[in-house]
Amino acid sequence: MRGATAIIKKELRSYFCSPIAYVVLGVFLFVMGAIFAKFVDLYQKYNVAHQFGQAQGITIDKLATYLYQNMAFILCFVTPFLTMRLFSEEKRQNTLELLFTAPMKEIEIVLGKFFSAYFLMLIMLAVSFIYVFFMVLWGNPQLKIIGATYFGLALALACYVSLGALISAMTSSQAIAAVWTFIALLFLWLLQSLGQGITAAWGPIHWGPTLVYISPLGHFSSFTEGLIHIKDVVYFLSFTLFTIFLTHRVVESNRWR
Amino acid sequence: MIEVKALTKKYGDRLAVDNISFTVNRGEILGFLGQNGAGKSTTMKILTCFMPATSGTASVAGFDVFESPYEVKKRIGYLPETPPIYLELLVSEYLDFVANLRKIPSSQKRKKIDAVVERCQLGDVRNRLVGNLSKGYRQRVGLAQALIHDPEVLILDEPTVGLDPKQVSEARGLIKSLRSERTVIYSTHILSEVAATCDRIIIIDQGKIVAQEAINLMGATGGTTKTEIVVQRSSDELTQALRSLKGVRNVQCLSNGRDRIVLETEASEEIMAEIARVAVAKNAGLIRMSPVHLALEDYYLNLISGKREVSI
Repeated sequence: MRGATAIIKKELRSYFCSPIAYVVLGVFLFVMGAIFAKFVDLYQKYNVAHQFGQAQGITIDKLATYLYQNMAFILCFVTPFLTMRLFSEEKRQNTLELLFTAPMKEIEIVLGKFFSAYFLMLIMLAVSFIYVFFMVLWGNPQLKIIGATYFGLALALACYVSLGALISAMTSSQAIAAVWTFIALLFLWLLQSLGQGITAAWGPIHWGPTLVYISPLGHFSSFTEGLIHIKDVVYFLSFTLFTIFLTHRVVESNRWR
Repeated sequence: MIEVKALTKKYGDRLAVDNISFTVNRGEILGFLGQNGAGKSTTMKILTCFMPATSGTASVAGFDVFESPYEVKKRIGYLPETPPIYLELLVSEYLDFVANLRKIPSSQKRKKIDAVVERCQLGDVRNRLVGNLSKGYRQRVGLAQALIHDPEVLILDEPTVGLDPKQVSEARGLIKSLRSERTVIYSTHILSEVAATCDRIIIIDQGKIVAQEAINLMGATGGTTKTEIVVQRSSDELTQALRSLKGVRNVQCLSNGRDRIVLETEASEEIMAEIARVAVAKNAGLIRMSPVHLALEDYYLNLISGKREVSI
């Protein structure tokens, strides 16, 4: 696995040597900051109104749930920018030959690529602890729920990144990889609504429940409520493993096609 | 060291490499000559395990490229047509990365990187970004990458393309310096380069080997070489004397302004010396004596234009 470690080291270095990591991190924090500020504002308004008996109050845990559901969605926009270069850049620079003629297995290359982008996403997730800090400072959120949420986010990111890596392996253009990754992720999210719509219209037949199950949205939601279901963990892990397996196949096929 | 048997590679319907076989001995520098698209790079990609062949076998140091690619990859250093470099890394970082990919033990890493930096003369640019280097330096970084793990076999795909004349001669010097310690396959479409560096050439055209020859000292093929001498006073006596020399096969007198005589001889330095001696002894006023380098070019062009009869 030394090859994989070498690739992870090199990729992280490339991310932080180019503006990409900083720009993506900056934009992510800016958007999340805006959302957080807005929610805190709403939270206060609702609770003030509640004191005068005009509206239902919301708890800080509810605030956290909304915040992290939004974050999981924002990350769909962020992931493509970090995964787009993984393989397509290698193809464009003709550096795949270097990796493939080095004495290591293809899976090392794939895992190295996957984990480099994944680590970067985890760094991003770690930076978002700042919101937890503020919530603890000014309120009394249940840290166990937030812990479960972060666990869920980490799992969801693994499946986002694996999908991004797969799409990057299929094209030599970073822009195309980014656009398709975004479309794919968005599609997966929307499957939930599509499935629910089908179920509402025709009852629980016609693929409705299946589509809901395929979408990561429902699986993630239970984490934000503090529930860690084995089926959700299995969903994210099997999604990730299967996509990595497909990536391995695609990378391999680049050589004989 | 390298054995290729009946190797064939198809891209879809297009036949890129058509049933080629050759061997390369240990310590030999083999020139791989052919036009663009003749199948040179494809053959090299198969030998380096980058790509599988459609049929046929190839082995490096006794290991089959299909059955034990790991062993083959360990023994090969490969410089593809475009050097596989990362523009955003420093030269030193890049070499460190390659050393890790090559699984060089960390205790030896520093030593090996230093050695290859020295050998490829990269000392001045060690701490510069690869992306800021000139084409020549990038090529050298690529070569350093191929040499870092002391491979037994070196496969270089057009290593001198895009270099300036000084860099070309430096690159040739470097490749020549590898002779005897390593086996080198070297592809190019520049003939003078082959003549200057290789022990043997394989000419490939439309996926087929059309000639395999050893290159002798004179830079010609087939054991025959052409020499031109220019004298002030040519005479029948001189031509007769030249013709009677052992090893001289043909003597042609051409005249335009001065007397030019073209001799076709066996390729050896002794004959050259003998021709000079005779010309001086006959008091012909020897002005110039030079090998006719066109031989290899003629040969090559004749081969790839489909004429299998070679006229020298």
